[in-house]
Amino acid sequence: MRVNLQEQKSTASSSLLKKNVRKFMRNKLAVIGLFVVVLMTIACIIGAIAGVDYNTPVLTEMKKAPGNGHLFGTDTIGRDLFARVLIGGCYSILIGVFCAVLSSVIGAVLGAVAGFFGGKTDAILVRVSEIFQAFPQLVLVMMLVAIVNKRGLTNLLFIFVVTGWMTTFRMVRNEYMSLKGETYVKVCEAFGMSGNNIMFKQILPNVMSPIIVSTTTNVAFFILQEASLSFIGLGVADSTPTWGNILNAAKSISIVTDQWWIWVFPGLAISLFVLAINFLGDGLRDVLDAKQQ
Amino acid sequence: MVKYIIKKLLMMIPMLLLISFIVFYGLQLTGIDPINFMVSPEVLSSNKDNIDALRESLGLNDPLIVQYFHWLINCLQGDLGYSFDGSSIVSIISVRLPYTFELAGYSLVFSAILGIGIGIISAIRQNGIIDYVGRVLAVLGQAVPQFLVGIILIQIFAIKLGIFPSGNRVSPEATNPFIDAFLHLFLPVVTLTIGMVAVLMRYARNTMLDVLNCDYIKTARSKGIPEWKVYLKHGFRNAMKPVLVILVFRIPMLVGGSVVIESVFSYPGIGLTMTDAIVSGDYPIVLVTTMIIAGTMLICSFMVDVFNALLDPRVRLSE
Amino acid sequence: MDTREIILDVKNLNTSFISDQKEIKIVKDVSFQLKRGKTLAVVGESGCGKSVTMNSIMRFTGKNAIVKADNIQYNALRGDKIEEYHLEQIDKPNGAKMRALRGADLSMVFQDPMSSLNPVYKVGDQVAEGLLQHNKGMTKAQAREKVLTMFKKLGIPDPEERINCYPHQFSGGMKQRVVIAIAMICNPELIICDEPTTALDVTIQAQIMDLLKELQVKEGKSIILITHNMGLVAEMADEVCVMYMGRVVEFGSLEDIFDRTSHPYTKALLRSVPVLGLANGQKLETIPGSTPNPADLKAGCEFADRCPECTDKCRGKAIPTYEVSKGHLVRCVKYDTYPEVK
Repeated sequence: MRVNLQEQKSTASSSLLKKNVRKFMRNKLAVIGLFVVVLMTIACIIGAIAGVDYNTPVLTEMKKAPGNGHLFGTDTIGRDLFARVLIGGCYSILIGVFCAVLSSVIGAVLGAVAGFFGGKTDAILVRVSEIFQAFPQLVLVMMLVAIVNKRGLTNLLFIFVVTGWMTTFRMVRNEYMSLKGETYVKVCEAFGMSGNNIMFKQILPNVMSPIIVSTTTNVAFFILQEASLSFIGLGVADSTPTWGNILNAAKSISIVTDQWWIWVFPGLAISLFVLAINFLGDGLRDVLDAKQQ
Repeated sequence: MVKYIIKKLLMMIPMLLLISFIVFYGLQLTGIDPINFMVSPEVLSSNKDNIDALRESLGLNDPLIVQYFHWLINCLQGDLGYSFDGSSIVSIISVRLPYTFELAGYSLVFSAILGIGIGIISAIRQNGIIDYVGRVLAVLGQAVPQFLVGIILIQIFAIKLGIFPSGNRVSPEATNPFIDAFLHLFLPVVTLTIGMVAVLMRYARNTMLDVLNCDYIKTARSKGIPEWKVYLKHGFRNAMKPVLVILVFRIPMLVGGSVVIESVFSYPGIGLTMTDAIVSGDYPIVLVTTMIIAGTMLICSFMVDVFNALLDPRVRLSE
Repeated sequence: MDTREIILDVKNLNTSFISDQKEIKIVKDVSFQLKRGKTLAVVGESGCGKSVTMNSIMRFTGKNAIVKADNIQYNALRGDKIEEYHLEQIDKPNGAKMRALRGADLSMVFQDPMSSLNPVYKVGDQVAEGLLQHNKGMTKAQAREKVLTMFKKLGIPDPEERINCYPHQFSGGMKQRVVIAIAMICNPELIICDEPTTALDVTIQAQIMDLLKELQVKEGKSIILITHNMGLVAEMADEVCVMYMGRVVEFGSLEDIFDRTSHPYTKALLRSVPVLGLANGQKLETIPGSTPNPADLKAGCEFADRCPECTDKCRGKAIPTYEVSKGHLVRCVKYDTYPEVK
């Protein structure tokens, strides 16, 4: 009987998975989004492994238009833009994924603790998140940049994670608050399960879908955030070519007018990647949102 | 109701104090010595005694908490202090703050009208032309970085067509201040509005769709009232609360966006002031601009509470 | 039968929904007649298409629904004359023609009073809204008087005070009275009650049903009562329509259905009603199996797989409806010796 039940459970879950995959595949935009995200990531990684030369200025090749051995042209000091966009993609995607995942984890754990235990813990955590939210995130990041006073990749990652956990925190906390009242949680409590067990093994799976969806869209958010920050000159150090740093060249009006390729290609790369991530996120939301099933 | 509002207002005060202290303390952590900005390095090494006297007179040797209250009391008296290059912060802010309010204010109004309007129409005429166009615009508006939109607009309207100036807020040779303001504000406002509309439209559409699925909409229809009444009186009135709340909630995004956009258009507002101050390490200015932004945000979240109370009888009558 | 006696005549109503680019038939060839001043109970399991049938008549189905019918005729009594309305010919579901009837002639009481009232308006205003819509030139003060009278009639205490309250200040039973007030305020001929008491406490249920019964007896309203509570049916109904998987399987007078039960499904339904004084150890009967998925139905009788009296004749071909006695219709091949109804 027990085996039978387990079998049933596993076939049920695998058919649910199959159903979800089918549902996802039917959403053409989401499939295209996934395809573009994977393709761009692989291209950037291959570029990095192949060791394309993105950093050697060739003074004779300055400001060359696309073509003639330079697919995207060259920048103001003669570096190959295609190589820079590939390597920049590695950094930008790394920043986006790392910060999105880590801030989701922190937000989810804090949210679970606050929502599950309530009381003083909850009050303090909510207050802290309110203080963080009193600032526009960009301003908060700028302030931290000012405090850290050194522009580097690690500092930027740290700052993004510190400033990025509040939305997930709020969402997870609210879910926990409402799920805590559900009968099945009461049943677990009556069985004498430990708080940790209930919190992470029983409730967490119910909150996973919105967390996954928001993590996906946060990847796009952090990539855009990095680009904005680098554009105003407060992102990672200039020697690290992120998409935002490459776009920083577009602060000069003469480049905007005369060397369109310097800002159009990195701009396209960002927009395309963010667009694809958003489609992917929407598709995941449709598949995972239990309310719609 | 009045009690509720007063309570919420009073709760803002400790919040502001706490934030100001954190910012103040945080900036002290940077370890930048303001003396370095006031005195040239040669003088610094030769006149050690005089420098110490200057330090003492500026209160830089006092404990942090004393320095904080010193700064706080000065601020409350309207003295925001001086930037490292010696200009009065009050005079900088009094010129630049109104510029930012103009920029953010117009963007807020336009994006609210467009975003909510298009969102509601898309929900009512689901899968219609407006819905389709709106969805495409929303997707694009969220994917293209705002500063890139700004750059593209500059490229087209300022450089190629030459209709609008590419930056700044006033031109010295302008004769009519209103036309001048319009010309300088147009592109940055459009840029900021595009980003906000994308977010608002999507939210307004989804909220309105949720509301239209509610049972009370069917009750309203069962009374035989015209469709526009069903949509406006029963649908929109209920969708308005969450939409207004999200509108106010998104003001931080607008402010954050205006920081970047001011950079793109060299628009002399608070955002540009702050960016420049951070780059050059001018911390008195960073402190004041941060506080202004934090204050604005707190007022916004206060407004969210008030809207909530005004629009929802369940909240309004519970106090 | 003439139009004076029949208030609503539905013939071959079909409703299907488009889902995933597939058309799923929910209501199939439903026909019934409602006599003026009588109560018709529509019973069946959840998901058998009771509510969809009524929503199709009132044109409340969403945009992804296709409603087709040979005839949905509403006969209004205007003074001495009868005016015929053919609802199936009205092309716009929320257009002027349909709206003129809603509230004034046909009205509906919904299942869940908790969500049927708009949370942001005072209940008095919500009741008055329909009144002001259908009586041009009525002042707000006059409407208020009417609402007060209606509240008193429905037994809402302190009507002068309650009229200015918001829905969240009402209990469930009181909310349902307000919903009934909304349905009754324009004095409609026909009231469709879609499981009006399912969401309420048992004691409140009885009060609400008594109220409806009283209104019907005193004012001669015609009522369609959707329910799956056989007790309510026995108490309220003059005629009963049993539905299964979007089809009418049995239709007849209260006595036909309860005393001369014919269709195996109706029999099963009646056996599964809990009775007070069930003997110790005696189990309540259930209908074996579960309702099939409407998306993949086989030909023949939909109940065949769960039917204890199923034969080979039940499968494969369409099942006609037979008239076993006057006005008592059964859709089952067991009765193929009786005349077929077209």
